[in-house]
Amino acid sequence: MAEYLQPGSLEEAAGMIASHGSSLAIVAGGTSAMRYSAPQAEHVMGVRGLGMNKIEHFSGGLSLGSGVTMSQIRESLPIPALQEAARGVGGPAVQNMATIGGNIFARQPYGDVAVVLLALDATVTFSTVNGEHTKKLEDFYASGAQADGLLTRIDCAAPGGELVYLKCGRRRFNSPTVIAVAACVGLDNGKVGNACIALGGAGKHPTRCAAAEKALIGEALGVASIRAAADQAAGACSPGTDSVASEWYRRRMIATYLTRALQQIAAG
Amino acid sequence: MASRIVSLKVNGQNEEFIVGALTSLQDILRDTLNYTSVKEGCRQGGCGSCSVIIDGELRLSCLTPVQEVDGSEVTTLEGLNQSNSIAALQQQFIDKYAAQCGFCTPGMMVAIQALLDRNPNPSRDEITEGLAGNICRCTGYLPIIKAVEGVVAEMSGASGD
Repeated sequence: MAEYLQPGSLEEAAGMIASHGSSLAIVAGGTSAMRYSAPQAEHVMGVRGLGMNKIEHFSGGLSLGSGVTMSQIRESLPIPALQEAARGVGGPAVQNMATIGGNIFARQPYGDVAVVLLALDATVTFSTVNGEHTKKLEDFYASGAQADGLLTRIDCAAPGGELVYLKCGRRRFNSPTVIAVAACVGLDNGKVGNACIALGGAGKHPTRCAAAEKALIGEALGVASIRAAADQAAGACSPGTDSVASEWYRRRMIATYLTRALQQIAAG
Repeated sequence: MASRIVSLKVNGQNEEFIVGALTSLQDILRDTLNYTSVKEGCRQGGCGSCSVIIDGELRLSCLTPVQEVDGSEVTTLEGLNQSNSIAALQQQFIDKYAAQCGFCTPGMMVAIQALLDRNPNPSRDEITEGLAGNICRCTGYLPIIKAVEGVVAEMSGASGD
């Protein structure tokens, strides 16, 4: 049976991570860790007591403590796409427990909120025995989603354009994800000035899709550019097959849902 | 192994335990305190049959380390029954045939109570979403949704059907 550790401060938590290494499982909301990592771990560290559940607003941007729950996101964040993603996580009890930090580490086919955070080009901040360090969420996933220390905070600027999030699930509520797309597109004189496309269910982790972004930038957001972006996304992604959906189906849904998301943005 | 004392107020009663290893709230409620309404369905957070109200919030006891709820107030179906606050809901469950095998019923009732605490007049859509975390393999859900609608109608003074 795993020993249960409850650090009293971020420094103490970072120390426990440094000294126990991979024999330590971190539990925040518990909805993922209590299923997958904690039962097998030698040591379990509970971080609910560390007060990492604050939401701070600054000049349009957000700083979210890693312990902010899905319910908090639904109730108190001004970004509808984030609210919608949080609403898609489990039922009400799970939403009261599951945290945004846990969502970033959730294995596919979960982790929808992280898809929106990627489209917002968020950064993640870890606390270690050597102090804090921050990196882009995109780089965190690109380098294999390895935590270095304790994830304490997620920061993002205000959306740099119209932000749309769509999820394809198996049922209306409380469904694991077939795929999810988040698109943030800024128009400049009728042409796409900036585009941030993020996909869930399209690989091992939530991923940015540079190929689809490239197909949009500089183009008018219309039938041709949307089709090009959807084709690029379907070609570039590497979804898996599991009990929720097949790789074949996921690839097609990525094209379909990205098309819908971009059409919504084009329609204003 | 470092042990500590955890205190809880369960259905109005003060309780204390010594725990060291990772222990779920469900194990304490069900095995130590004999609140057997807290069902052990999937132990993965997928079925909702272990739902309890912790400090006013609906949560799953199977995925909650008991160490994390030290000092909290926990309400199970037994607590709701003692305070008689769910008498109307129980009658609606009988009238609408909303319980068949009964395994999901305690978690379902706790989730309904939590839903009505937040939203006393939910639409059918809101009822469906509010119960989305509770799985029932017998009824097909419609009788349960009708029972909730019946309680809502009673509370707002309309006829129950």
